[in-house]
Amino acid sequence: MTRHLPFDTVLVANRGEIALRILRTVKRLGLRGAIVFHAADKGAPAIKAADIAIEIKGPTPVAAFLDGAQIIEAAKTAGAGAIHPGYGFLSENAGFARAVAAAGIAFVGPLPDAIELMGDKVRARKFVADRGFPVAPSAIEDDDPATFVERARAVGAPLLIKPSAGGGGKGMRIVRDLAELDEEIVRARSEGQRYFGDGRLYVERFVENPRHIEVQVMGDGHGNVVHLFERECSVQRRFQKIVEETPSPALTPEQRRDICETAAGIARAADYRNAGTVEFIYGNGEFFFLEMNTRLQVEHPVTEEITGLDLVEIQLLVAAGEMLPVTQETITATGHAIELRIYAESPARGFVPTTGKLLAVQWPEGPGIRMDSGIARGQAVTTAFDPMLAKLIVHGTDRSDAIAKAREALADTILLGCETNVAFLDRLLADEVFVKGEVHTGTLDARPDIAEEPPLTAEETRRVLAAAMLSLRPTRDAADRIPAIHAAIGAWRN
Amino acid sequence: MRHLLIIDETEAEAGLTPAGDDLYILHDAEGSHEVSFHGYAVRVDDVMDRVAVAVDGNVAYVHLNGRAHRVEFREPVDRFARGGAGGGADAIAAPMPGSVVAVNVEAGQSVAAGQVMMVIESMKLETAIKAPRDAVIETVHVSAGKTFNKGAPLIALVPLEEE
Repeated sequence: MTRHLPFDTVLVANRGEIALRILRTVKRLGLRGAIVFHAADKGAPAIKAADIAIEIKGPTPVAAFLDGAQIIEAAKTAGAGAIHPGYGFLSENAGFARAVAAAGIAFVGPLPDAIELMGDKVRARKFVADRGFPVAPSAIEDDDPATFVERARAVGAPLLIKPSAGGGGKGMRIVRDLAELDEEIVRARSEGQRYFGDGRLYVERFVENPRHIEVQVMGDGHGNVVHLFERECSVQRRFQKIVEETPSPALTPEQRRDICETAAGIARAADYRNAGTVEFIYGNGEFFFLEMNTRLQVEHPVTEEITGLDLVEIQLLVAAGEMLPVTQETITATGHAIELRIYAESPARGFVPTTGKLLAVQWPEGPGIRMDSGIARGQAVTTAFDPMLAKLIVHGTDRSDAIAKAREALADTILLGCETNVAFLDRLLADEVFVKGEVHTGTLDARPDIAEEPPLTAEETRRVLAAAMLSLRPTRDAADRIPAIHAAIGAWRN
Repeated sequence: MRHLLIIDETEAEAGLTPAGDDLYILHDAEGSHEVSFHGYAVRVDDVMDRVAVAVDGNVAYVHLNGRAHRVEFREPVDRFARGGAGGGADAIAAPMPGSVVAVNVEAGQSVAAGQVMMVIESMKLETAIKAPRDAVIETVHVSAGKTFNKGAPLIALVPLEEE
């Protein structure tokens, strides 16, 4: 690399797959990679991949990664001129971004003001709405009780009436025909009074079978902002994403252009610097701003696959004060990419996290297959951190090609010693609801059968038993103690 | 001789006898089948399938047809232990891995059925561990802030016949 950046060492203030993924780009750019680690991750591949590894401590492993002062100290010790926070932990902490800058170190992320603005959901929504971008229409009775019904009507159908004091879905009413608005308000008011002793109401646009669609944006602080197309992340459990893909199967080319330009417009209005993601809720052909995430996202690889760009590289260049190396016209999208998050969890038992020791780890390989993983054989999976073990990313010529590739790759994925969601991911990809691209954020709740583990057939049970009993010492030894001549009668003896 | 194995959460009984040349006969509930296993492939009667196996003590993990299964060999003595001694209700085990948020009881204390003895947190959700019956606390195995795995003992109650 002939690029001259104002820093030669980058400290990664994160762990697991994202730490390893950031280090990969850092080293490719000819920079030195430093990392902080907690003893709970002893032996993790990211620690081995770093040029310098500095141990951090805390009352819990997570607390160590939230200790900004300790991390800045580590950066100084490592001689790092930049800190990449990854996602989670301190990545969206404005105070940390300020402290890093005050220490004379480049923060690989947005300016603290942008983190603060977008971190405050109410301020962010107002900022976006004031600049004419779409937010879900709503009306709060308390704002001006006299005009409430009129303002509620302006929200448009379908709409949702909620008791202001409510919660848990009690007293909520969906209005699909505005002609019924008046009487539904009366009913909702009496229900709110009955359930909560408070009849005040709140109305918002109801998005039926909502889909989560987000847009990757990138700015350089020199007036340049681009979008890198959308990602659809509607497959969720407990508000956490499991599968992400791009392009979204829900959008027409016109809607796609609209949503991407809206996201770039919001980033431009905020004079946004570095990588960010504008999240939207989409349904009934409309999309509304939800929030903006001011960091690199877990699902950024699908964007990298279709654009051929390295988002971490662009992040580092921008953090070094350079202009974006791309313009909107030069960014193109090719094919279809899907990311599957491999979690240590039990889908059949309500997606509870699982623990264990990884006795065997085998990842799929081949053209169009990318594994972003931070784990290795022999490592313990504990509840100390997030249960995500790895991400499988596939890139196909079109959506059905990508799905086929993903299913082949899942079949080649072997993780033994800790229960994972790998088999569930395959059931999901095989299900018609996913194949047809009809998934919305409530799909997994509506279809608990996808999470269910089908029972083993008699033939499968026999194979599992044979492999296990010939591998386990007690059963194999017991068999080997029987002389083969006696064994012949064993079949009818027991 | 029949062995008890737990495949995922299902019990299975099966026997294994040698048939020479690395061949064995598997005797399961439905009959006898010639089987062999060579590290990455299992053969049952005349059908060969790819498998991956990893062993940890008395537990074998078997990957077959895109699914991983946990197969635990149960020692005969364990079967008796599980069957006797007044059932497992006296030992309160962790329903899932997590950490202890609060401990409300101590050894020797009496609790009423339904009383919250402990609060644990898993997946960012708090769960109250309630007394299954009126009881006296025998042991509290964990303290606030500690993490535990699924199935770890949290609290032991004094068995009914000893109270």
